[in-house]
Amino acid sequence: MIDPAAIRRFEAPAAPLTRESLRADIAAMLHETPEAIGDDDSLLDLGLDSMRAMNLVLGWSAGGLDLEFSEFAACPTLAGWWRLVEGRMAARAARR
Amino acid sequence: MPPGAETMAPADDDATLLPLAEAQEGLWFAQRRAPHDPLFNTGQYVELRGPLDRAAFAAAVNQALAEAEALALRFVDTSEGPRQAVDPARRPALVEVDLAAATDPFAAATARIATEMARPVDPLREALAATTLYRLGEGRHVWHLRIHHLAIDGYGILLLTRRVAELYNAAVAGEPAGAPLTPFAVALAEDAAYRAGPKREADAAFWRAAFADRPDAASLATAAASLATAAPAAPPPGAPPFHRASVELGAAARAALDTRAAETGLPWPDVATALAAAFCRRHTGTAEIILGVPHMGRLGSPAARAACMLMNVLPLRVRPDESAPLADFLAATGRDLLRARRHGRYRSEQLRRDLRLVGGHQRLHGPLVNILPFDETPRFAGLEARLEVLSTGPVDDIGFTFRRHGADGAIRLEVDAAPAFYAAGEAAALARRLEAFLAASGTAARLADIPTATPEETRRLVHDLNATAHPVPDTTLAALIEAGMRADPAATALVFGAASMDYATLDRRSAALAGQLAAAGLGPGDLVAVALPRSLELMVALVAVLRAGAAYLPLDLAQPAARLARILASARPRLALAEGTARARLEPQVPVLPPELWAEVAPSTAATTPPQPGDAAYVLYTSGSTGEPKGVVIEHRAIVNRLLWMQAQYGFGPADVILQKTPATFDVSVWEFFLPLICGARLVIAAPEAHRDPVALAALVRRHGVGTLHFVPSMLAAFLAEPAARGLALRRVFCSGEELPAALRDRFHQTLTGELHNLYGPTEAAVDVSFWPAGPDDRSVPVPIGFPVWNTRLLVLDAHGRPAPPGVAGHLHLGGVQLARGYLGRPDLTAERFRPDPFLPGERLYATGDLARVRAEDGAVVFLGRADHQVKIRGVRVELGEVEAALMATGRLRAAVVLARPDAGGTLRLVAYVVPAPGEAGTPADTGSAPGAGTLAGLREALARRLPEAMMPAAIVPLAALPVTANGKLDRAALPAPPQQGLESRPLAGAIESRIAALFAEQLRLGALPGPEDDFFALGGDSLDAVGLLLKLREGAGGDPGFGRDPGLGALFAHPTVAGLARLMEQEGLSDAGLDPLIRLVEGEPGLPPLFVIHPAGGIAWCYGGLARALAPRRTVYGLQAPALDPAVPVAESLEALAADYAGRIRAASAARPVHLAGWSVGGILAQAVAARLAAQGVAVGAVALLDAYPCDVWRAEPDPGEDGALKALLAIAGHDPDRLPALALTRPAVLAFLRATDSPLARLPAAALDGVVRVVAGNNRLVRGHHHRRYPGPLTHFRAALDHRERALDPQMWRPYAAGLEVHDIPALHAHLTGPAASARIAPLLSAALAARERATVADGQAALTHEQDLTSCA
Repeated sequence: MIDPAAIRRFEAPAAPLTRESLRADIAAMLHETPEAIGDDDSLLDLGLDSMRAMNLVLGWSAGGLDLEFSEFAACPTLAGWWRLVEGRMAARAARR
Repeated sequence: MPPGAETMAPADDDATLLPLAEAQEGLWFAQRRAPHDPLFNTGQYVELRGPLDRAAFAAAVNQALAEAEALALRFVDTSEGPRQAVDPARRPALVEVDLAAATDPFAAATARIATEMARPVDPLREALAATTLYRLGEGRHVWHLRIHHLAIDGYGILLLTRRVAELYNAAVAGEPAGAPLTPFAVALAEDAAYRAGPKREADAAFWRAAFADRPDAASLATAAASLATAAPAAPPPGAPPFHRASVELGAAARAALDTRAAETGLPWPDVATALAAAFCRRHTGTAEIILGVPHMGRLGSPAARAACMLMNVLPLRVRPDESAPLADFLAATGRDLLRARRHGRYRSEQLRRDLRLVGGHQRLHGPLVNILPFDETPRFAGLEARLEVLSTGPVDDIGFTFRRHGADGAIRLEVDAAPAFYAAGEAAALARRLEAFLAASGTAARLADIPTATPEETRRLVHDLNATAHPVPDTTLAALIEAGMRADPAATALVFGAASMDYATLDRRSAALAGQLAAAGLGPGDLVAVALPRSLELMVALVAVLRAGAAYLPLDLAQPAARLARILASARPRLALAEGTARARLEPQVPVLPPELWAEVAPSTAATTPPQPGDAAYVLYTSGSTGEPKGVVIEHRAIVNRLLWMQAQYGFGPADVILQKTPATFDVSVWEFFLPLICGARLVIAAPEAHRDPVALAALVRRHGVGTLHFVPSMLAAFLAEPAARGLALRRVFCSGEELPAALRDRFHQTLTGELHNLYGPTEAAVDVSFWPAGPDDRSVPVPIGFPVWNTRLLVLDAHGRPAPPGVAGHLHLGGVQLARGYLGRPDLTAERFRPDPFLPGERLYATGDLARVRAEDGAVVFLGRADHQVKIRGVRVELGEVEAALMATGRLRAAVVLARPDAGGTLRLVAYVVPAPGEAGTPADTGSAPGAGTLAGLREALARRLPEAMMPAAIVPLAALPVTANGKLDRAALPAPPQQGLESRPLAGAIESRIAALFAEQLRLGALPGPEDDFFALGGDSLDAVGLLLKLREGAGGDPGFGRDPGLGALFAHPTVAGLARLMEQEGLSDAGLDPLIRLVEGEPGLPPLFVIHPAGGIAWCYGGLARALAPRRTVYGLQAPALDPAVPVAESLEALAADYAGRIRAASAARPVHLAGWSVGGILAQAVAARLAAQGVAVGAVALLDAYPCDVWRAEPDPGEDGALKALLAIAGHDPDRLPALALTRPAVLAFLRATDSPLARLPAAALDGVVRVVAGNNRLVRGHHHRRYPGPLTHFRAALDHRERALDPQMWRPYAAGLEVHDIPALHAHLTGPAASARIAPLLSAALAARERATVADGQAALTHEQDLTSCA
């Protein structure tokens, strides 16, 4: 039997999200190196699918960010996604 | 006005009407097919606790509803197809309902919600969406949303709900809200662009390639469909019309998903989808499963924020390799999912069209697996929310939804199942089972390591359902029989024909023979062959062998010499008990001791050694796959368990009468032989060959009061079809040997009264191991084989030897005390089929090779068919391999394949496909064409020397080569259906040949008439068909009136061709019973006085057959026929003389009183005359029924039509209107030729008989005119042809002067049709009632009448 506590989960990121951490997460999900993910590359063309996209957005939300998946789905590029994450982080900072 | 609302005008003009998105089109047509199905409603509710700002909430909802333009769609049917427009008039607005005053506000709300969800919405006329806020009390609300699937999909609802929350939260916080939802027009434009773009073509190519070799979409319901049919689950009004069961994934299942996701780098939803696919495939039993995977279809699209219907269902083909590393399987499935999503815009409806999967039942995919990785619960500021998703659209089959919810990563598994295919409990069972499957996947190295059944199910399947332990004395069959024989020595043990034997005699004679055997050195461990036909001696022999301690080996001397020799060589019996005439066949291998040499008294010197429970009791040979028959060794202990179980289960005792009709070589015979003996009951032994003659069986049952008998179901079907069997009352009928069709069970109870039991068991497990009471209330389809007998286990195991869960097909294994010791002299075969029991160490399990499943509701086992090449042909187990081996052993073939194919009527028949050896006459040319006629002459005969009758192929089809598939395997599907017509020969000659050919075709369901030289058996007929043919010969079929007789089975076997049988029927000619003056039409209950029916003008009484069979209760019906049909007999002098003749025949035929009479037309006149005569003789007369007959006075004034009139009458009898045949010369040869040419049933009579009919018609015309009625001092019952006699004033009241009473029934029929099926059905109950009433009336003075009659007789 596996001890559920021993399972590595998508934990809340220890460090705040950055453009590069997003790039690294996307690359890992696509089994690519981070360098292969260009800022304005279509992530669809790089092999991203909806379930992987959801998994990424879920992971980034785990830290408490209120990310709206449909906005990410509308513009699947690293640059677009970073803008959304940056915006939410700024909004959260403003509320504190 | 919210943004986007003005993007589409609400006008009606065509310019504003837009086409449907591709995703909507599929739904539109589905909705049009099922306009009353509320399943197109999707919906959810959110329960909100806490202080709700109702104004802000209403504003947020209304704003979001306005943004989600698709909710306001209006649909229009146009000549170009459906069109749509956004119509603000259809836009939903929040309705608020206060339920705080209700007793249970929450229940009140959910009830209203259920009603709302269950209401079908017409998208042409009604708004697609509605939303309501129910106030339940202070700080407690339920918000319900119901939207037609045409307007939205699951993703869209999520989007909409989150938008409502966002707007509410912003309003409450006083902050600006985020971006509005995307207008519907954007989504439509995007859809149109995709449709016109190059991506769609690429996607289409991907899918068409992926599905080019598409297998059928398997459903989990295939196995279970019958369950749902058996107990249709009608959803209560207002309830969602599908079964839903939910289970929370436990820690182990969730951990397994996470571990596997981490290990493979796949998102956990893809891991769950792959495992669900493997789980589903376990249930379908197919190599591949096609899942439907919902796909949002919006990633990277401007429509990503459009709340509308865009989702697609991707068909995912999964062919799990159970033995590959689990991670490899998951990775491969994950790759396939990724690829499918990349091409996920291409509509699956379109793919269905591309693949020409038209029609409602041809589905592209099976179970739906939907994964919702988000917690979809909306977050409202200051409120606690709980989301309940009610429906996400139609449930065609079954759907598995994994829904993440709550903050701690909980996952709920929801199973939605269509009630048409799934029983109520199945959804819950599947949910629990899948949860356990996921949990077990955490530690499995391969899929093969994961059991399908849950631990609870396994416990039930292995232990609970097999808790059959029952104490049985450790004794032997010999000891039980000895005890049974001594209980009442004077009681009759055996009845065979006119002979019988009491228990004392059986005891003495079997002891004597046993002593003789012991004196010859035979005892435990020895084998004695028994090759006697059914007889008293057979019973003495069997009991003697058992008492001597030896085991008996029954032998069928009718089987081919080669096979018999192989069995003797393998079994090596020390002695054979057989007739002296069998010496030639047996003596080279085994000495024969014929009955005339058996000792009558036990020799005093030699004492027998009684057997021990572990000694062999009998050895039976069955068909073997290698071509070698296998000898199954059954020990005393095993058969003792079986017999004592049966005695106790069904309460057998000394009063029972049991029929023995199964040949000793089949294991069913074992209980027939010995159960009566251990119970002290009576065994009635059927004559040899009688077991396939339903008429003889029915007579045996009646004569000897048989209460218990066994049928192979196909023979039961033949028996029930036999009129003589109808209305029989039996105590118990046992079926086994092949599947008992549910329809046959039902027909049994409609035809007979008695218990019906379905038993199952292979020879390898002491006759039967399971039982099912198939009573009149049993509605099971299919009929189960039921539950294990005492000390017996039934296990349905999957390919890895694990219990298959309820409802899932697996291999049936048997365990327990009844298992055979093994195969005689074949430890290899024994080890292969009898394996160690993994669940009970030290025990064995026998692999039956049968497929079965356990019924979920009660654990009854259902037989599903054979797993291998073994088939049952009419109850006889046949290994196709043995037939193939026999074909190849002729040395004349290059290849041979044998299939069991259903014929046009669904009966399995063996078909051999052969490729002749080079040089064989008729070897096909290289053109590939099939060999023609004359090929392989004599092959059938050569085969008959090697195979018993039951294993002979019904058809042998020569081929130039066997068809193969692309990978070189035999392509069974490409083997042609066997031709249904024999070799070309001369055309049919004569009416009799034509009739017989037609009856062959009818019985064998041939597509065309056979030729005169076609052999009934070569055309595919077997012995049961032969019985059916005899019935048709006797009683007619398909418009043929029948011959009124049949030549008997033996004659059919001797003359099996059309021409041969025609010669036989012709030769018998007028001497035959069918034209005798007195024929028995039906045999009925022995206690009921018979009914005598008198021929109409033509002199033949067969026309009453239908009426006679329709009488209830069933009674014996005799037909009186004109003696002058025989040219040697002169026509009677007067009608009175004829009546006197008939009265004499009636009194000679039956002593039962009263005498019932009936007659149609002239027959009615005769009936009245016979009644008057019998009454004058003091004979009690019962009912006198006149079928549209009128007194002679009516006819006397009319001129005798003479010979012309007789011929006209004959034409009328044959169904022609003589006045419409002016060109036909009214001469005897011309009319007879005409009748033959028009294929009239009458013309099919032998020529002499037809002459006789003409003579009788003419004679009757004369006799009727010369007759003066006497008064009959009893009542007449008249059946008037109410649709006739428009031109002539014929009135039943004309009989008044000639009877003491008259009762008239109007039958809505023409005179000519009064004995037809429709009129018979109306007359039969009235006539039955009249007969019964007259019997009651005559009982009172019956004794006096009888005495009087005897006096008169003695005076005469």
